[in-house]
Parts: sequence; C-alpha cells; structure tokens
Amino acid sequence: MVAVWVLGGAVLLAAGFVPVFLPRLRARRWRRRVAWSTARAAIASAVISRDAAPCRVPEAEVLLTRAQWLAAHRGGAAAARSAAAYAQRADRLWRDAADA
Amino acid sequence: MLSRLWHWRPLRWVFLGAAVVLLITFLVVQRQSIEVSYGRSPTLATLAEVDTSVGLADVTVPTVEEMTALVEADPVVRLPGAIATWDEQRVQEVIGDAEVRILVAPPGLDEDARDRVRAVENATVRVIGTQVSGGIYEALSSTLPEWRAQFATADVTGPLVTLLAALLDTPEPDHDPPLAWRDPTAAELAAVVDDLRDTDVHIAPGATLTEVPAEAAAHAFPGGAKYVVLPRQPAGEPLPHYGPALVAEFPDTPIMVMYGSWIEYHGPQAEDFAELAAVSFYTQLDGRLSRYDYPQENVLHAFLAQVADIRYAGLFDRPLPYEPFDPLRVALPALPWLFAACAGGFLALSVRSWPAHRRRGAWPELRPAGTRALLTGLSALAVEMSLLADQRSNPALARGISALQAARTALDDGLPDSHVRTLLTDARNELDQAARTMGFDFFRPHHYLKDALS
Repeated sequence: MVAVWVLGGAVLLAAGFVPVFLPRLRARRWRRRVAWSTARAAIASAVISRDAAPCRVPEAEVLLTRAQWLAAHRGGAAAARSAAAYAQRADRLWRDAADA
Repeated sequence: MLSRLWHWRPLRWVFLGAAVVLLITFLVVQRQSIEVSYGRSPTLATLAEVDTSVGLADVTVPTVEEMTALVEADPVVRLPGAIATWDEQRVQEVIGDAEVRILVAPPGLDEDARDRVRAVENATVRVIGTQVSGGIYEALSSTLPEWRAQFATADVTGPLVTLLAALLDTPEPDHDPPLAWRDPTAAELAAVVDDLRDTDVHIAPGATLTEVPAEAAAHAFPGGAKYVVLPRQPAGEPLPHYGPALVAEFPDTPIMVMYGSWIEYHGPQAEDFAELAAVSFYTQLDGRLSRYDYPQENVLHAFLAQVADIRYAGLFDRPLPYEPFDPLRVALPALPWLFAACAGGFLALSVRSWPAHRRRGAWPELRPAGTRALLTGLSALAVEMSLLADQRSNPALARGISALQAARTALDDGLPDSHVRTLLTDARNELDQAARTMGFDFFRPHHYLKDALS
C-alpha cells in the first residue's frame, strides 16, 4: 500500500517535471547542433578564403586556429558560437586582404 | 482519438487537485487509530493478585534451626498442613542409594515463611504446596496429565522425578500416565445430576466454594453452564470421571467439573476448547496455584475469565460485534489506488501536450517544400558556374559551394528550416558575388532561379 503512494507520488512528480524539462532538453540539443552547423560552415568558408588570399594574414590565422581548436573539442552551444565568431572574423580579414 | 483527448486536457488539473486532496485525506486519517477487534474482554484472568491475603493459609513453619534438625533426623519431613504426595516406589527408583532429604511445606505460606523453608540447607528437595524445587532447579509440570495430578490430587510425582533425575544426574525414567479415571458410581452420579437439574451447580462436601462467580460465568458462558465442584481428591486413586456421563445427560451444555484446583471442561467444542483453555490457564498461573492455597472460588473465577478471554479472542464461533458503517474506513484501502489513478491521468494528459508544445515552439516540423527546391536550384547553378569560373570568381564560388554542402548536411540531419535557410542565403550571396565578378548577369541567382522555375 505504501508502494502505491510512493509510485503515485513519483508519477505526479514526473508529470510535473518531464513536460517542462523534456522540451527544454530537446531545445538545448537542437540549439547546440544548429550552432555547430553554423560554426562548421563558417570555418569551411574561412579556410577557402585563406587559400584564396594573396598574402598571409597572421591575425586571421590565429583566429582560425582558435576556431578549429574549439571545434576539435566539441563543446556546447556557447563554444560553437564563439568558434563561429572567430571563423567569421578570420574570413572577413582574408577577404579584405584579397579585395585590397 | 488523440484530438478528442486533446479537448480533455484542462481536466488534468482536476486530476492533480483530486490527487492532492486524496493524499491529504489519507495523511489526516492516519491520526485516527483503526482498531479491528472483537471487543475487549470485560474480565481479567487473575487470581486476586491485588489482595495478597487471598491464597495465604493460616499456617506457618518452624524456625530454620528446628527444620534443619528435623531434616537431619528424617529423610522425608512433612510439616503440618503439607498436602503434596508422591508415588514412593517411582521416586525411590530414581533416588536409588543416593542421600536425598525432602522437606514438604504446606501451601499458602507468606513470603517470610517461604524464605525460611528455602534457608534449610540440608534439604535436597523442597516442596512448598505442590511447587517442587531443589538446588538451582525448579521443576514445573508441563503436560495436562501432570497438571491434573498436581492440581486435582496434589500428586507431585512427575516434577519430583524430573527434579531428582536432574539433581542426581541420572536418566529420567519414562513418565507413566500419573492418574487414572474411573466411572462414577450410580449413587454419586444421581446426586450430581439431581443438583444440576435443580440449580446448575453441585458442590460436594469439603469444596472451598460457596457460589459460582455469577458475572464471570455470564461473560464466559452467556448461554449458561453447569458446574460440579469437588474437593481435592485423594492421591493414588482413580478420579471419578463425571464428564462423559454428564454430557450424555445434558447435551449441548457447557459443563465444568472441578477437582480441587483442576478444572475439566466438557460439552460443545470440547475437543478444541478444553485443551486450549486448560493449557493457557495452567501455563499462566501454575506458579501461583502451586505455591498458594487459593479457595476454589478464586480459581474458578480466574478460569472463567480465561474462557471469556478466549471467546473474545474470536477463536470460537462467536458473532462479530456490530460495527456502524463507516464510509471512510471502507474507502480507505481504495485511496492509494485512486491517488495513483489520478496521478496517471495527470501524466497521460500532460504527455499528450508535449507535441503541442513543440508545435507552438520555434521549429515547425513541417518543412516548406521550397527549401529543398532552393538547395537543388542553387546546386545546379553552382555546377554551371564552375565550368566558367576564373581566378577571381573562384573563391566566392568555392565558399558558396561550401555553404551549400553545409546546408545539405543540415537538411539531412533534420536541423530546423530557418537554419538551413540561413545557410542557403549565405550560399546565394556568395554565388551572386561570384556571378557579378564573372560579369554574367544570367548567373545571378535571382535571374537563374526565376528561369529555372518558370
């Protein structure tokens, strides 16, 4: 009889927590995957710009290395966003160098 | 089905509320004590322990020195008033050549006199009333025949033999049935039957009982019972067995036959009841009964109380006492299950709402068909452009292709459409820049796609 109460209480708690946390968990996972997708695209773009650049841009190379380092360590959404930001800045620097 | 359930969704709060109410009800109800019993027996099986003077006889014993001298002079010393007897032959068989001295004191001695009896150190065995002790041992009867011999005739052969065997470290001889029965003579039976017909009670001369305790008797046998009270019987002779003859005379009537402090039950359910009542009664009180000299009235009162206890314990078919209908008590066992059901309902309706949550959320599951078409179109454009690309337009074209690949991967991974669109927009901008660099206006995506789709 006690087990029924414990079970019922557990079910109620689950009924409260699961609908709240499951979508949150899912949303977090999606955000992370989207962020890494963006970061990988930015890194690929930056690598192409580097190869096309007429001269070396040390600052951009440092930024790209940082971005690749972050990508190699597979962090969370925040890491992915900073990796994307580094790669985009590096990309911008190399493009400017190519346009100049 | 699911959409119908969808309408019931607000009901989950009802479930939650019901579950909380049930839980609180259950917890509050726990404070009530739930007693399920057959009622409390109104009497207490006891031998007047409060009034300690009951059971004390008007006897005393000599001083320790005098008793020591008596024991020194004679191997068996019987003090005045002593009642215990034994089968000389069987005891002698156990004793053999050993030096055994037995001091027999009367029952009903006060604490002080008992201490004096115990202080006689040269007595191997002390018998106070019918309580047999010696050395560090005390021998107690433990079977119905032994109890019957001890309390009906003051015959202590069984305990005495057991004790002597233990003290002398000899094997204990087999117990013979210590007491035989005989049928009562016609004259004896006629006197008893006449009395029972008239008054339900036969009190033989010499019995220490004037009246059957009425209240205890009413509790024990609400339907009435018949009592035959005989004094303590002489030891070594068969007991007159009134029970079977009286049962034949008075069928379906409880009959109690009392020999000294020994009570026999005959009548309805005798097989189950007699032994249970006797064993529980004499196990509980044999220490006091053997040491003290209780009037038969007290013994009968205590026995009747024991019978009432047994009846109230519900072992024999006594109707249940009436209990008023209590809906809460009836519903109580169902509460946990109702609680669990409410919890389950709440969970089910909550689970139903998860997809709805996602539907209202940021990423629609249904992907607009245009995304894949746009990807295909831009990929085709990139292939065409790559044929004509030159040194200057190559980087932008490569970046565009890279973005297209990222968009394809994201699409295959099932990532949100908005994200794929963002990547496609990047690709489109790169391809647009490449087309402008090449100087081919028809390669600009908005032109190309318009042509391709038309």
